[in-house]
Amino acid sequence: MLSVVCTLLISGVYAGGYQVGLHGQKQIGMGLIGTSLSLDASSMFYNPGGLSFMKPSFSFSAGMSPIRSFTAFRKSEPSAYTAMTDNPLGTPFYFYGAAKINDRFSAGIAVNTPYGNSLSWGKDWDGRYLIQDLSLRAIFFQPTLSFKVNDWLGIGVGFVFATGKFDLTKALPVTGANGDGSVNLNGSTTAMGYNVGVMIQPTEKLSIGIDYRSEISMEVSGADAKFTVPASLAGNFPADNKFSTTLPLPANLDFGLSYNVSEKLMIGMSLNYVFWSVYDSLIFDFETNTPALPDSKNPRLYEDKLIVRLGGEYTINDKFAIRAGGYYDPSPVNEIYFSPETPSLNNLGLTAGLSYKPVENLSIDLSFLYIMGAEADKQYTPDNFGGTFKSRVYIPGFGLTYNF
Amino acid sequence: MKSRYIAYFLLLLVAVSCEPKLDDYTPSAGSADFSKYISVGNSLTAGYADGDLYLTSQNYSYPNIIAQQLKLVGGGEFKQPLMFDELGFGNKRVLQIVQPLDCSGNPDGDPSPMPVLAGGVPDQRNFTSIAANGPYNNLGVPGAKSFHLLLPNYGSLNPYFGRFTTSPLSKSVIGMAKESNASFFSLWIGNNDVLSYALAGGEGDAITSQETFEATYTMLLDSLTANGAKGFVGSIPDVTSVPYFNTIPYNGLVLVDQTDVDKLNLLHASIGTGIVFNLGQNPFIIEDPLAPNGKGMREMVEGELLLLSLPQDSIKCRGWGSQRPIRANFVLDINEIELLTDAVGGYNETIKSLADEKGLAYADANTFMKNAKSGIIFDGMRFSASFIRGGIFSLDGIHLSPRGNAIIANFFIDAINLKYNAAIPHVNVGDYPGLVFP
Repeated sequence: MLSVVCTLLISGVYAGGYQVGLHGQKQIGMGLIGTSLSLDASSMFYNPGGLSFMKPSFSFSAGMSPIRSFTAFRKSEPSAYTAMTDNPLGTPFYFYGAAKINDRFSAGIAVNTPYGNSLSWGKDWDGRYLIQDLSLRAIFFQPTLSFKVNDWLGIGVGFVFATGKFDLTKALPVTGANGDGSVNLNGSTTAMGYNVGVMIQPTEKLSIGIDYRSEISMEVSGADAKFTVPASLAGNFPADNKFSTTLPLPANLDFGLSYNVSEKLMIGMSLNYVFWSVYDSLIFDFETNTPALPDSKNPRLYEDKLIVRLGGEYTINDKFAIRAGGYYDPSPVNEIYFSPETPSLNNLGLTAGLSYKPVENLSIDLSFLYIMGAEADKQYTPDNFGGTFKSRVYIPGFGLTYNF
Repeated sequence: MKSRYIAYFLLLLVAVSCEPKLDDYTPSAGSADFSKYISVGNSLTAGYADGDLYLTSQNYSYPNIIAQQLKLVGGGEFKQPLMFDELGFGNKRVLQIVQPLDCSGNPDGDPSPMPVLAGGVPDQRNFTSIAANGPYNNLGVPGAKSFHLLLPNYGSLNPYFGRFTTSPLSKSVIGMAKESNASFFSLWIGNNDVLSYALAGGEGDAITSQETFEATYTMLLDSLTANGAKGFVGSIPDVTSVPYFNTIPYNGLVLVDQTDVDKLNLLHASIGTGIVFNLGQNPFIIEDPLAPNGKGMREMVEGELLLLSLPQDSIKCRGWGSQRPIRANFVLDINEIELLTDAVGGYNETIKSLADEKGLAYADANTFMKNAKSGIIFDGMRFSASFIRGGIFSLDGIHLSPRGNAIIANFFIDAINLKYNAAIPHVNVGDYPGLVFP
């Protein structure tokens, strides 16, 4: 049985680039649509305009989606070399709490992790001079206010306060008595942005949503650059160096449409345009430069991409609802600047979800997402390193929603 | 009903244990038979590095690297005439932190890693014959010129060959190669036909003539292919591209004091050389009996090369290159370089046309090394032909480092794959050690 399942599954990486779309188990179950939905407090992320359409007076929602991701690599021919990531479990989570202030206004706070990456190729793999381990995580805090203009129109805005940290390790091609040298770069920062949305419900059955989440530029300065090199080269790589860098978290423009076909069946779609082209290059500006350690400018040249999502929900009875969906998320990574640090391929995601209400106010939400990516030959030309990549990601999700 | 939904859901979770799989690369021998490979050549083939031939350097010889890959396509054991230790004949260099001294012997400047003679006493067995443990697949002999491979008494003339020949007085290198009846061979020879001349600054030894080279190479290939064996040959890299000739710049005489400049100008005015010095970089002064000023010395011109053997303390403390000319045996002048370049060009034409005639794989190592000189990148490692830091060359500035050997092995593998429609996998250059810094 296991092997049958395995052959049916293809490959993927959990989201384009380093964006993570796991912000509500119900939405995940429906192909990650959400722009036109006002299910519960999770609307604050997907479309703050939808929050005012929320039916209960109070809504709390929390959940997490542990990511098991694998990327397989075979070096460009004629090489027989293969490698596989041994990624630590990614742990995106969310918490939403919202309340209706009156018939018009709703407010709340959202805490979630829209960007992140958790990658380990290992200490000794052949691309170790490009990347060994990378951990990248941003946590967003978003106080949100939503206003219901009239029966069919809601608008909302959220102020985003983001904290981010990253930790990157790679080997250096200088050899000492103990083997390769290495460098560890780690730092953290905070930044701000916003999230605005409009929700339109022209009829009882139809819902339309538009949402824009701003770019957030994570600027890091005075972060630690730790070099481990042979003693005779220590002058070239100052041991306690500092550096500055900027990692842009791209803006998103989302459009969503959903339709209640019947009492029990709802279907929807959304289009997510991600402004990836802001990720032009990854620059490490070292505080102390030497002839062997100039500032490092690594081209990325990401491209803007449109993600298309479809999904639906079927309410079986008072206790159970089931969901399914899928999406296509093309790789934003430039063909010739495909670094194993973010091995993001063209992804086709398939999702399923289930909600169980043991009591009226409480919903236990489960989702499952796996992502099928296209096996592809990719190169990072500045380092003359490349090969065939193929990935597969499994993301079970668990959440609770409590409304009253 | 509840349990059924949950069961479906759990089924999805089962998939969590599936990892992505990629098809394996399938090696293939193509139209060649690699069951018995022998390598014929000089120090590059033997695995000489860091100024000597020693156990580890032999293990990283390009023929041994290739032979390990050939095992994936039907290749057999590859036996090398290994030394017994890391010291070989006792001339191996290692990197050590060296404190530069001024002319009075006081510390001057920052300590930096420099090649120094490795300490220790070589194993005496390195100097005795190991012919009885043969036959060997790697017939690379350090110091061998093309025509040396034909000499029946070469074992008595070259201790590296003397170690493993079964008959020092009556068996040539090519004779041993023929005896092995190999199915596949490599021949990379001709470097020393120009290098010995270059290492003497063009003042001793002679460049092998084109006629001798062509006749020799023809005989070598006739002999190696007599049993129908296939193989590959490599062109000769321009010897002047190695760090040994490119580390000390022609205009490396740096004057920072006006008083030094004045003193030198006064001195040369009194000799009548017509040479004028300025603050900053100046060309070194070299011996040249034909110098137009009639004083037997002149400034170096761009394109002329200084040898790494040039004693730096004589430059610094004894006025070499400034007060008095650098001796000609440390210099390759324009004429000498032209002779070398012409000779290499001629050899390579011969090698290419004979390879084509015999249907052998031809690897243009000359073009490859020229490209390497300006820098090449593999898997995030940046290589160049610069001394020590460049990473391709070992500490002697002439022979390859382990990573340099891996790079050239991959280059040869490309030539084999192309010619014989084979699919021999590359090695990962990063699997081989870089120069070890203290």
